[in-house]
Amino acid sequence: MHDGPTILVPVRILEGQSLPEGTAELLSNARVLLLGYHVVPEQTAPGQVRMQFETKATNRLDELEALLESAGATVETRLVFTRNGRKTIDRMVYEHDCLAVLDPEAVGDLDDVLVPVRGTIGVDRIARVVAGLFADTDADVTLYHVVEGDESNEDARTLLDGLVGRLEAGGIDRTRIVLTVRHGDDARAAITDDAGSFDVVVMGESDPSLSTLVFGMPAEAVAERFLGPVFVVQRERPPEAEGAE
Amino acid sequence: MTSKPLAADGGSVGLGGEGRNVGGESPEPDPDAVGEEATIHDDDTELERTIGLAGGLAIGVGTMIGAGIFVFPGLAAGNAGPAAALSFAIGGVIALLVALPASELATAMPRSGGGYFFVSRSMGTAYGAVVGLGLWLGLVFASAFYLVGLGHYAAAVFAEVGFALPISPVVPLGLLFGAGLTALSVGGTDNTAKIQNVVVAVLLVILTVFLTYGSLDALGAFGRASVPEAFFSRGVFPAFSTAALVFTSYLGFAQVATVAGDIRSPSRNLPIAMVGSVVVVTVFYVVTVFVATSAFGAERLSTFGETAMVEVAREFLGRPGAVAILLAGLLATFSSANASILSGSRTVYALSRDALLPKKASEINLRYGTPHVALLAAAGPILLLVATGRVEVLAEVASFLHLIMYGLICVAVVVLRRREPPWYEPSYRMPGVPALPAVGAAASFGLVAFMQPASIAVGVAVMTVSYLWYRYYAGSVELRGVV
Repeated sequence: MHDGPTILVPVRILEGQSLPEGTAELLSNARVLLLGYHVVPEQTAPGQVRMQFETKATNRLDELEALLESAGATVETRLVFTRNGRKTIDRMVYEHDCLAVLDPEAVGDLDDVLVPVRGTIGVDRIARVVAGLFADTDADVTLYHVVEGDESNEDARTLLDGLVGRLEAGGIDRTRIVLTVRHGDDARAAITDDAGSFDVVVMGESDPSLSTLVFGMPAEAVAERFLGPVFVVQRERPPEAEGAE
Repeated sequence: MTSKPLAADGGSVGLGGEGRNVGGESPEPDPDAVGEEATIHDDDTELERTIGLAGGLAIGVGTMIGAGIFVFPGLAAGNAGPAAALSFAIGGVIALLVALPASELATAMPRSGGGYFFVSRSMGTAYGAVVGLGLWLGLVFASAFYLVGLGHYAAAVFAEVGFALPISPVVPLGLLFGAGLTALSVGGTDNTAKIQNVVVAVLLVILTVFLTYGSLDALGAFGRASVPEAFFSRGVFPAFSTAALVFTSYLGFAQVATVAGDIRSPSRNLPIAMVGSVVVVTVFYVVTVFVATSAFGAERLSTFGETAMVEVAREFLGRPGAVAILLAGLLATFSSANASILSGSRTVYALSRDALLPKKASEINLRYGTPHVALLAAAGPILLLVATGRVEVLAEVASFLHLIMYGLICVAVVVLRRREPPWYEPSYRMPGVPALPAVGAAASFGLVAFMQPASIAVGVAVMTVSYLWYRYYAGSVELRGVV
């Protein structure tokens, strides 16, 4: 048994959001940080909501924890009352060294996993998530890259081969790995178009660079359009990132 | 699972309480840990800190600037003459003398409830109850004061567009805004905190442009003679009584401490936000009054009443200037009223957490997630007070109730420094203890003596009722931290 990756699963706990069908099976090899959170309006002190709803939220969180544990996952829970859900998720990723955040959606049979790869940055973390979650399953893993600009097919090949090597080392047989290279200018649109035939998507969080500021985060755009669950692999947080705005 | 420990910031724990109130409720237990980014209860429940330094400064400046610039200059000039600028400076110095100890206490106890929390934990439940209930009613009076100011500005808009009304629309408009603001805070889910930051920034820009022009003009840069006048045209005493009146302009910095539980990196951000907002508004107030009295002379300025600044702007910059200040006045009084109403509901939460009020009082509805009981309970008295339309009494009672708390905050620092209880580890320590806080306490209590007898009577009555409520309702509640 290998070291399961730590996956953050955020749930809006007081708004009746639940874990969709298949989520527990999907995470059976993971160490799960189950984050129940509630976004508090600014007229209200977070502690005020805690005083009234902590018991209700904790009970709900315990049910979800039992569900995940029954499928085999190792689970730790956190309950956070916050005014800014994104900040809370970010802090949890940092404090608990989470490799990926799951945007949970219903999933049936787990046959095909799509792994879009943009560049070499973060490839190692993507490999740890994919191998950790899916090595013990029979799912096929499709590594997917869109060639843009003056990048050559050779470059794409080298990039994907590097990832193949890491996945094999992580216990995924080469026969289960499919390589797909597309050409085009709009990587985001290509990924969302092709994602439809897959069951799960694992993709890297984009660097907050200029392009993502203009076009939005590709990972978020994919998660919005894709109907199944998406694992967003987090970039490595530098130690001094804490407390930064 | 590996977890990095939260950075410790000296926030103390173990400041809960014991005993039961008449309704059988006990104070909530204190959190397990107080961190830079979150407060942790029961091992795995956390309260996220989400307000940064800019947000904290905006709360302080946004709450304060409405009154000092847009309501008081005319009234103050009428009472003190050109020495009104000195009155504002006196108010600023006193506010600063309180902001320093408040900062020290806030870094040791960065929790919701602000001054109430500090006083109750350092001086005991009885003082805490009087200060806490007094603070809540002080905010009720302050909200009413800002709403009447808002009514004056809205009425001035009608006058500006030449819309004549048979009766003065000030009070009806104030009531309308009061009801509207309450409805908005109960049912509104929009993120008005971001709007608040923008409003404060816009205000500061408008004021900076206006005051720069006005100062240059007053100093004779444009070759126009300003009105020469004796500084203490009404004598020295009015400068102090006016300071007592306009002190309402400085109540906002303590509102930063009421949301101390939500401020990120509180050990750094709380002191900067409190002291910084006091310094910023003091400068703006003093310059504003200097410009205003130079433009017209105190005598004529006072005839313009609450919206005197509109006439000052008209004098300098014509109609566009008047419209800009009118707009700024609406924004500023609106944001001050809003901030005070929300702080009031925070105070109710802090009191009910400690079982000094029924838990029911801070109940939240799950539909909007807002504390509707506290907001509606405050709305009644606020509207009643707006209906009186008595700007000066409302302002003074609000100041009175705050000043009592401020004085006790100063005393609390001296008490805690002498006893050094093991839980008291502030990351910011103010200089000059015990002399500076002693001066701050004396000044806070001393300023009360300069108020109108009616305001003092109302203030004392509120404190007496608060104490009797505590004896009746929560006499056996003992809040921890007292040594």
